[in-house]
Amino acid sequence: MLQGFTVISENLPYIMGGIWVTLTVVLGALLMGLSLGLVLSVAQVYGNRVVRRAVGVYVWFFRGIPLLVLLFLFYFGILANLQIDLSPFIVSIIVLGLISSAYQSQIIRGAILSLPEGQLKAARSIGMSDAKAIVFVILPQAIRLSIPAWTNEYTIILKDSAVTYALGVTEILARSRHVAERTYQHFWIYILAGFIFLLLTYMGTKLFQILEEKVRTPGYTQ
Amino acid sequence: MTNQTPVLRIRNIKKRYGDNEVLNGVSLELNRGAIKVIIGPSGGGKSTLLHCINFLVGLDEGQVYLNGTEIIEGRKRELTAYRQKVGMIFQDFNLFDHLNALHNVMIGPVRVKKLPKSEAREKAIAELERVGLKDHMMKYPAQLSGGQKQRVSIARALAMDPEVMLLDEPTSALDPELIGEVHEVIRGLASGGMTMLLVTHEVGFASSLANEIFFMEEGKIVEQGPPQKILFNAECLRTREFCSKISRLHNNSS
Amino acid sequence: MDELLFLRQEVAPELLAGVWMSIKLIVPSAIFGFFIGIVSGVIRVYGHPVLKRLAGLYVLFFRGFPLLVQLYLWYFGLPRIGIYLSPFAAAVIGFSLCSGAYHSEYIRGALLSIKKGQLLAAYSLGFSKIRAIFSILLPQAMRRALPGNGNEFIYLIKYSSLAYMVTCIELTGKGSILANFYFKYLEIFSIVGAIYLVMVSMATWGLNYLEDRIAIPGFGRPKYN
Repeated sequence: MLQGFTVISENLPYIMGGIWVTLTVVLGALLMGLSLGLVLSVAQVYGNRVVRRAVGVYVWFFRGIPLLVLLFLFYFGILANLQIDLSPFIVSIIVLGLISSAYQSQIIRGAILSLPEGQLKAARSIGMSDAKAIVFVILPQAIRLSIPAWTNEYTIILKDSAVTYALGVTEILARSRHVAERTYQHFWIYILAGFIFLLLTYMGTKLFQILEEKVRTPGYTQ
Repeated sequence: MTNQTPVLRIRNIKKRYGDNEVLNGVSLELNRGAIKVIIGPSGGGKSTLLHCINFLVGLDEGQVYLNGTEIIEGRKRELTAYRQKVGMIFQDFNLFDHLNALHNVMIGPVRVKKLPKSEAREKAIAELERVGLKDHMMKYPAQLSGGQKQRVSIARALAMDPEVMLLDEPTSALDPELIGEVHEVIRGLASGGMTMLLVTHEVGFASSLANEIFFMEEGKIVEQGPPQKILFNAECLRTREFCSKISRLHNNSS
Repeated sequence: MDELLFLRQEVAPELLAGVWMSIKLIVPSAIFGFFIGIVSGVIRVYGHPVLKRLAGLYVLFFRGFPLLVQLYLWYFGLPRIGIYLSPFAAAVIGFSLCSGAYHSEYIRGALLSIKKGQLLAAYSLGFSKIRAIFSILLPQAMRRALPGNGNEFIYLIKYSSLAYMVTCIELTGKGSILANFYFKYLEIFSIVGAIYLVMVSMATWGLNYLEDRIAIPGFGRPKYN
């Protein structure tokens, strides 16, 4: 046990260094998921039948295939065939981002559909084109409504980021494994890794709560 | 644009929902400064008519003319330009929930008319003052009473400098004690010369304001004429029946 | 083309073996996870304060630690304190306990959403607390929780692929081995992905069918997603 503690304190900096990698991957994926998700959700709510179908297929695809398989498929399959050379780090962000965009599109879509019909009507009645109405009236409200669900999305992507270890990304779990293999203290090292993720989850959740407070419209309850 | 060209003219509007003929060939016109009121039983198509005039609901048949020019639904740019000139007030206010009163009024001038923010702000404050809500301009919709919300929505429509205003039962969703403040604002608009088409149940208010009253039932204008005639001396049986019922109601309350 | 068809003779049996292993992982994990979820969910709503705390900690850690970290703990970590699990055992235990924590949250939410009056009515008829919970509240709660629990089951189908990371060779593992052997990454992983899509779609369809079958008119179901 004592041995465990000394090992941990010696290797902590190295493992904690993985936090930056993990957070970058997570944030990159979240942002990519958000931007794509916004476009997809608007397309799905306001687009024609063909567009809606297409988005539906996209969502079905990226929510139906396991993350690990998608990582392998993209990294070893698609990119190798296209002869594009991207780092595992970038591929991880892209794949996590695509998967997140599928989930986020549904979150935002739900938020848009929950808005009263009158909002769009009123925007049109003062002469706004549909595009302006969506950008200035619908989406600002839908995004605010989506913030709680993002907290959830963040925790999911955070935990999924550990899987990117399979591609060799040097995030928290990868570094933990290196240390564990060297020091044979697998048990304590992985418990430590778990706690680091737990801490990051807690901090992220708190941050999203602050964000929600900051952009909350006074008196607005739904 | 001579005095004789009506500001707003609608011709033979028809609208069907499935088997239901909600609007069965409605025509009317509004000259500049005219105030006309539509009354009638629920489901008669009054609200749908206003939504059709603004093309918020598609027409099956019929034409709409603004200052003599026909407005064609298909042409997006013309349509949005037309909607700027036709202000609409909704029964459930439809204020933009994520913006305070000032920004609700400003957003049209800034985003649609592309005015610079400072100019739009001045205009918005002026309109809010006109409806008596300048002190509340930083408040959000959720913090305003029903009457205040409706007055903000009037300011929002006015900020676009409309040529004609459509008011769809502006006080139906309000508690009785809040109706007066909205009526006062509408009266102010009328004395300022605004052309208005008003759908309402408030017959007393309508008769004091209107040049002409239309009685609408089952998608058609059954009878039209000056307030005194329609309300107390109508020609059609249906009109007399309806008006006697509501005047009994209002004699007890007003 | 010939080559590909011929490969399918080699590839297909291997992948099928992988699918079979995946099913052997998913089914027990789903069942255990669901029951662990019910027990811990009930404890968290109706249990003794100490038990409530413990169940709460269980959910906190098993939802807070990434699944992969949990799997590594079972397979690589336990041996350091003397317990040796096979890859299969480690995977099933890991999936069950992790899944159970998520199921627990859905059941808990569903139990909390049931009106207090239901429990009071049961008491007034002479039901004991435990009887009331199992005969009256849980049946209602499970209907409410079905969308969430069903969702968790779908996730389990996908996350079963992580068993490969603790050397339990299921579908993804087989695919990886084959792809490496034949250098046909794109083709093999596409097929693997397609198989998962089929499994997930079938499960989704089955769950929707189940939801419709057990729906009670007028029984409001809170919408999850």
